[in-house]
Amino acid sequence: MTTGHWTSRLSEYLDNELSPPERAAADAHLRTCAACRATLDELRAVTARAHALSDHAPARDLWPAIAAAIGSEMSPLAPRRQRTPRRWSFSLPQLAAAAVLLVTASGAAVWSLAGRGATAVATAPRPSARTSPTTPPLRATSFTAQRPTAEQSYDAAVADLQRVVEAGRGRLDEKTLQIVRKNLATIDTAVAQARRAVEQDPANAYLNTYLARTMRRKIDLLRQVAALTAIES
Amino acid sequence: MQTPIPGAPPLTPSPGSPQIPSDAVEIALAASGDAHAFERLYRAHVARVHSLVRRMLGDEDAEEVTQDVFVRVWQKLGTFRGESAFGTWLHRLAVNVVLARRADLGTRRRRFHDDDAPLELVSARPGSPEAVMDFEQALARLPEGARQVFVLHDVEGYRHEEIAQMLGLATGTSKSQLHRARMALRHHMDR
Repeated sequence: MTTGHWTSRLSEYLDNELSPPERAAADAHLRTCAACRATLDELRAVTARAHALSDHAPARDLWPAIAAAIGSEMSPLAPRRQRTPRRWSFSLPQLAAAAVLLVTASGAAVWSLAGRGATAVATAPRPSARTSPTTPPLRATSFTAQRPTAEQSYDAAVADLQRVVEAGRGRLDEKTLQIVRKNLATIDTAVAQARRAVEQDPANAYLNTYLARTMRRKIDLLRQVAALTAIES
Repeated sequence: MQTPIPGAPPLTPSPGSPQIPSDAVEIALAASGDAHAFERLYRAHVARVHSLVRRMLGDEDAEEVTQDVFVRVWQKLGTFRGESAFGTWLHRLAVNVVLARRADLGTRRRRFHDDDAPLELVSARPGSPEAVMDFEQALARLPEGARQVFVLHDVEGYRHEEIAQMLGLATGTSKSQLHRARMALRHHMDR
């Protein structure tokens, strides 16, 4: 076989797609052909470069157009300059400031919910930018062991926060309240489903972590709303 | 009996895979109509989707098609059942949108035939001015057929059989296009 023949098949060689006899023949050729060895090295570098390419977000924020297309409102997460004031009340700067002020009584309960003292930790980075700086890491298996206590603490934390939200609801606009209510209903449904699943399989760490995450979601949302009412006052 | 949350991955993980999908809650909320949860998904994934679209179609159409991808995701989110990771599902949907757009652009007929001339543009000799072209720029200047096969195989990790099915090619054509792309790009490794 000629150098030209093997040059045209070096990608297949690189991708391990040659049959064993073909590969053996290619290896024999490569031992004697410096040009093909050099080309193979170059092709290998190209594939490595392709794997290392970085992803880049578009130059402009596409969310406003997407939101318009799906019939949504403007974003609470969009850059400030693109936002219409007060169309949506959950702004990140507000929440970040409020988180410092609002280490409520629910904080201790949330810590308990997360299961202090556990050894197995199952964390997953959350895409949400709203995570409170007081939020502890999620712990999976401990939730099973401490579930009665944790659920009581969760219920207490929710009750505490709901009282704060209720006291401050007059300071929130109706649109915000509608969205909050809708999100809370969705989370409550998820919590109920997760609880039923855990009841059927109490030792399942995945289910327990899922339940804990879902509960935490509600507490985070309530905490954010409570923070907002404090700021709006 | 476990009742799945609409749009969310199933509560029971695959054996040996206890990892919680990090997007699970956002997916559930978005599938229920929460646009703010969907925005968080958008922000988590837009860079990867946009990069895929840009490499497949070029800069000119990338933003518009990326928008289309996410509108399509919003419409289809209820069909996501968690058999694969959300990112994988989203990615495949993005590829489908790209391929549909490519057909709309009417490039199908010429993509694997009349593109020898553009390939020469990136086949610079080492040390020539062309060689200092950024790798991404060189990639963008590949003929469409070779570029799309290269992106799908070497950047995105699809197999030739999958690519052949997606693009309507013979597997051998996918392999030959990939080799052409690699051979053209090998002189643009400077950056």
